[in-house]
Amino acid sequence: MAAGATSLTKSETRRLCAITFFARLHPGDVCGSNGLPLTPNSIAILGRSQRLKELQHEHLCQYLDVVRGKHERTIVVSEYVGCTLEDYVKRHSQTPIKQTHILRIFHQVASGLAVLHAQRLVVHNLEPRHILVEGSKDAVQVKLFNYGMHHMTKGGAYVPFPIGNVRYMSPERLLGVNGNIKSDVWAWAMLLLEQLLQTELWPKLKLSNIAWKVLAFARNTKVSVVEKIAREHQRLELYQQLPLEVRELLERCLSVLPAQRPLPAELLQHPCFAQLSQAPAVRPDASAEPVPLLLRCPLTQIYHLWQLAGGDVQAELKKEGLIRSEAPILALPQIVRLSGASVCPPRSQSYLMDDRVVLLKLQPLLQRLSRLPASVYFPLLHMPRQQQQQQQQQQQQQEQQQQLPLLIRERDIEYQFRRVRLFTRLLHGYPHTAEQLQREAAIDIPPLLRGPIWAALLGVLPNASYAKIDKFTATSTDRQIEVDIPRCHQYDELLSSPDGHRKLKRLLKAWVTAHPQYVYWQGLDSLTAPFLYLNFNNEEMAFLSLFRFIPKYLQWFFLKDNSAIIKEYLCKFSQLSAFHEPLLAQHLASINFIPELFAIPWFLTMFSHVFPLHKILHLWDKLMLGDSSYPLFIGVAILKQLKSTLLNSGFNECILLFSDLPDIVMESCVIESQKMYECTPKSITHRQHALRVQTPHVLDIGAGEVELQHLQSELCPRISAKDVHQLLLHAPEQLALIDLRSVVEFGHVHVPHSINIPFATVQLGEQRLEALQVPQLEVQLRQRIVVCVSNIHQHAVEFSQFLVACGVLRTCILHKGFNVLHSIEPNILISN
Amino acid sequence: MGTSIVQFVYNYKDYAGKDCVAKLDISFPFEDESIDELVTQLLAQMDPMMRYLDEDINLQKELQMFIDREHQKFYDDYSEKLINQAANEELDLEAIVRNTERLYKEELLQFADRIGPSDEDIFAQSFHRLVHSSSLEDILKRERGYAKVIADMTDHMDSEVETLKDSQQQEMDSQINQLDITTTSQDINNLLAQQYTTHNFVRKRYESELEAMMGHQKNEYRDWITSQVSQMFQVSPVSTPLGNRSSMFVSQHPSMEESFTIHLGSQLKHMHNIRILSANVTDLCSPLHVDENLNGLNMALGLYSSSLCGVVVLTPSIQAQANKSIIKNANRSTEFHFDQMDVQLEKIEKLIRALSTSDTSSTPSNGSGSGSGSGNSTEGSATSSPIKQHVAKLKTGDFYITKHSNLSQSHVIFHLISDEPINSPSEINSRHPVILGLRNILKTASRHDITTLTIPALLRHEMSEDMTVPWCIRRAELVFKCAKGFMIESASWGGAELSTLQLLLPHDISEELFTTLAGMVPNVFRVANPKILVDNNK
Repeated sequence: MAAGATSLTKSETRRLCAITFFARLHPGDVCGSNGLPLTPNSIAILGRSQRLKELQHEHLCQYLDVVRGKHERTIVVSEYVGCTLEDYVKRHSQTPIKQTHILRIFHQVASGLAVLHAQRLVVHNLEPRHILVEGSKDAVQVKLFNYGMHHMTKGGAYVPFPIGNVRYMSPERLLGVNGNIKSDVWAWAMLLLEQLLQTELWPKLKLSNIAWKVLAFARNTKVSVVEKIAREHQRLELYQQLPLEVRELLERCLSVLPAQRPLPAELLQHPCFAQLSQAPAVRPDASAEPVPLLLRCPLTQIYHLWQLAGGDVQAELKKEGLIRSEAPILALPQIVRLSGASVCPPRSQSYLMDDRVVLLKLQPLLQRLSRLPASVYFPLLHMPRQQQQQQQQQQQQQEQQQQLPLLIRERDIEYQFRRVRLFTRLLHGYPHTAEQLQREAAIDIPPLLRGPIWAALLGVLPNASYAKIDKFTATSTDRQIEVDIPRCHQYDELLSSPDGHRKLKRLLKAWVTAHPQYVYWQGLDSLTAPFLYLNFNNEEMAFLSLFRFIPKYLQWFFLKDNSAIIKEYLCKFSQLSAFHEPLLAQHLASINFIPELFAIPWFLTMFSHVFPLHKILHLWDKLMLGDSSYPLFIGVAILKQLKSTLLNSGFNECILLFSDLPDIVMESCVIESQKMYECTPKSITHRQHALRVQTPHVLDIGAGEVELQHLQSELCPRISAKDVHQLLLHAPEQLALIDLRSVVEFGHVHVPHSINIPFATVQLGEQRLEALQVPQLEVQLRQRIVVCVSNIHQHAVEFSQFLVACGVLRTCILHKGFNVLHSIEPNILISN
Repeated sequence: MGTSIVQFVYNYKDYAGKDCVAKLDISFPFEDESIDELVTQLLAQMDPMMRYLDEDINLQKELQMFIDREHQKFYDDYSEKLINQAANEELDLEAIVRNTERLYKEELLQFADRIGPSDEDIFAQSFHRLVHSSSLEDILKRERGYAKVIADMTDHMDSEVETLKDSQQQEMDSQINQLDITTTSQDINNLLAQQYTTHNFVRKRYESELEAMMGHQKNEYRDWITSQVSQMFQVSPVSTPLGNRSSMFVSQHPSMEESFTIHLGSQLKHMHNIRILSANVTDLCSPLHVDENLNGLNMALGLYSSSLCGVVVLTPSIQAQANKSIIKNANRSTEFHFDQMDVQLEKIEKLIRALSTSDTSSTPSNGSGSGSGSGNSTEGSATSSPIKQHVAKLKTGDFYITKHSNLSQSHVIFHLISDEPINSPSEINSRHPVILGLRNILKTASRHDITTLTIPALLRHEMSEDMTVPWCIRRAELVFKCAKGFMIESASWGGAELSTLQLLLPHDISEELFTTLAGMVPNVFRVANPKILVDNNK
């Protein structure tokens, strides 16, 4: 290998590129069979192309992204290597390429075809420009490029332009057969023939004449196509010098009748490739200078970083003149009829398909990240102590960054790079790294890997069970699902595409089938949407995530009769609002604006029905880390954010406000809910219907101990003796215990530092703390969890209500009253 | 391409070792469907136990092979059929080649006959460049100068015509007084004819003068712009940091106005501005350069940008006739960028005639996407059959579009046909053609980057006595609600988002009614909550 050539190819290796085209516009106003407006074709393309992103093979350029621009423009970003076969041939025009070399190239093309055929895809636009060759001489790496056009446009139905090069088109394709892989075999053979004959096929002919030539083959099936072509180009001799095997292969592949042509898999087995496979496959970069570390990372990550580094595909295309900005005023129609028919000025040529490829430069990104040490590219999870200390220093730096707002962190390229690499490692090690993953996820979750990270946080382990679930047999819920799907987060392009609809339907049906004890409640669609959005190409992951998510946060919510569960949940929600926002809760209660009126969709869908996807993602990032009580705090945080509006609104205004929830600032909502979640003792959020992971402690609130009617009659939540004990031991400064028993009882035995306010002596009529005539009571209660203790439960309930009315934060009642404190070992009580 | 149905037969042994068969009809070519689904259907025919016995694994394998085989066979057979037909000359190969060629030439840039950008295009780009450079001021100064000349000429013409009229009137009066004394009715008729000719002569003279002047100005102006651009290329391109998003300053002081910021959409919310105002529609289309205001700058900056301003003007269906005062306003200065408004209207009328003839000759209505070719061809057919000019007119809900660079607040005027009789306000519903026409307008606006649109909120430009308060409220509510619906819908059209919607009420509306209608806006549209920034660290 020449040194010059390597440095040349080096700078070119593994680049990204973009192509663009317009999707076909729907004529006029047409509705689909369901009466809803038709999905724009660009969205359908976007949905179909997702599948292509999953294809990873050494002979296929990886698809990375499909972007939808304004006015039905579609941009496809994919991998690009080396140069096109066209350029490659030109570069070697002095010395004709050796036959074995040509065969080697085409062997790789054939194996690319075989992979696509196995996926039931056809190419249909195979031509020299779509075959990329990298390396030189003996070691070449060939990749097919732009092979997904046929699939993503549904065989060309979604675009106005034809797909494929007539020169390499088989006769049956010209006649209208679309979708036969054998047509690709024909194209492959034509390309091979072209190379072997060292000429260009019909270089001077017009398009129509070439079409005639191809059709002529169909008219006369007797004559050998190969010989005819060779003769026409005066290369018959050259052709006859070719090895017999090669000639036989070409003859077969260029049979007019497709049935006689071999399949791609058969091509690979052909004897003329036999010696090739034994040739040592030398990797071109083995001897060359080391590849930049970044290029060893997955391409999807590189593309993601490229975008973060300020890469903008549309801008790059604009720079190359592929997106021409034409003054819109010039293209306005002159007349538009009621039917939608219009008279327009002649269409500008900027709307035509321009098949130029625009390369996206990676150099700035490489430079930007070149200063980072290798340990960032390939982080070590477990390491000796010495290195750990170094690591800690770095971490301190990072921690400073972690103080920044989430939105800034998500756009910081270096930070994201570190996070993405770290999580990639962690995910590789999952489930053994589950703990560490949880720890890191608590800081933040890189958007690129959110799908698998969520799945890991939920403890998903793929086990192929999804494939076994019956997703197709018609059931009674089908109708409802069918109605809900076209209304579920349809602003999102993926979810509104036909593929998205199909997938969502399968997921919902699978969930319903998998849970015979449950029913489909409206809202399950919204709940599924984020998982589908994140795991669009991995339905099993989406399903299993949902499968684990629902019992964790919505245990029993999907029962046919879920009223008891929902009532309990909403009751707890009211209590928690009173606990954290006493004044607001008081106000809402006074205008009779009960949670039943607004909060059911919040909790039934975990807020996925009320917020747009990008907000749900951030919300759930934190939700995944908390337990089943976390959503309650989110609810309180939302109320808190709207506090000033709510306090000034009556019942009607409140209903109106919540009928279409106003824009909520998600980050502050998340921070606020987390703060509340952390400072609330666990037993406060006790719900009978929550999923229990551990058996309860003796001093916990046991299952079935609090009945719904009691819960509904108490404004303040109950706290368990266990939590009070814990607070007494570890954080007495956070606890204020109000003992409501009589002075005598208090003198007999009491908790140290508790405040004695005998219930019999207080007047609860006046709602002011001063009315209790306890010196500095307010100071003593501030910033603390206020526990009302009595041996008569009703006293505690009434007194706690009084405190809430006075606006005292974090008021709760000791579950089972004072007597339970006797049973704590070792004793915590003292007597005077 | 047809389809064929082949039956898949699956033989298996059930849990008791008994031979069983499951059958399924599968249609080919096999597309998009998942094999899983078919496997499920086959399994459903079996005993439920078989699923747990993992029968599906083998079943899936066999089904996959079957489908691969049959799928290939279907295509091969179909191809063979076509090829045989071609060989036997049963197919019109000529047509196939012609179609292929046409498709490639029309849709692929590689094969298309390259036509360079049109003069309009080049001028548009040059102007847009120039207007975003330091030459902006010069351009405006020049435009203003030109406009002054034209305006003076028009004024002059008007006054001369006026004086002529007066003197003729006097002459006529004196003659009539002398009737039957010194003059006969014959004389009066003669005088009338003579006066008419003189009048016409004067007017025509001025008009041709004006036309010549406008033509002259237009040429001069365009030459100047082009020369400026080439100069700018030589000198370093210093551009002002002015953006495209021009905001419309209302300088005319409409009598009443109120603005709102709204959110639309159930989950993802889009922000729009709504302004309700009462003004005369011609005020929105007033001449640009009458006074020294900033609108000239705004309009010039926005003209070739992707944030255009449009106004919907209602017009009766009698010919392509626009509001007289708007035409007059447009004629106050030279239209440097497009045809003068009269010419635009003339051309549109020609097109309408062509349309109605093509309608009668039952050519399929041309889709909006491919309107170009058929538009031209119908024009050709119209000239060949000029007899069919009977009732060439648009119907309610259709609209035509004129483009302007010399009006104060609109680049684009949508002339929406509405034949509502002036004195009897009728009740309409959301399926009324005018409302649907409004939807088409919003759609056109979205497709062509018109981001500020003014619509008549009562579908009326003038108040009349029969328009009672309840009627106005009903009508406004309908228009508001429909506009809201269309705006929500527009999010999925994939075009430009409408940033400002102006709801125009008649200029002679009472203040009380205006307040009532303005009060309806926040009820119909969801008004955005104010964002309050709070320091979290506190």
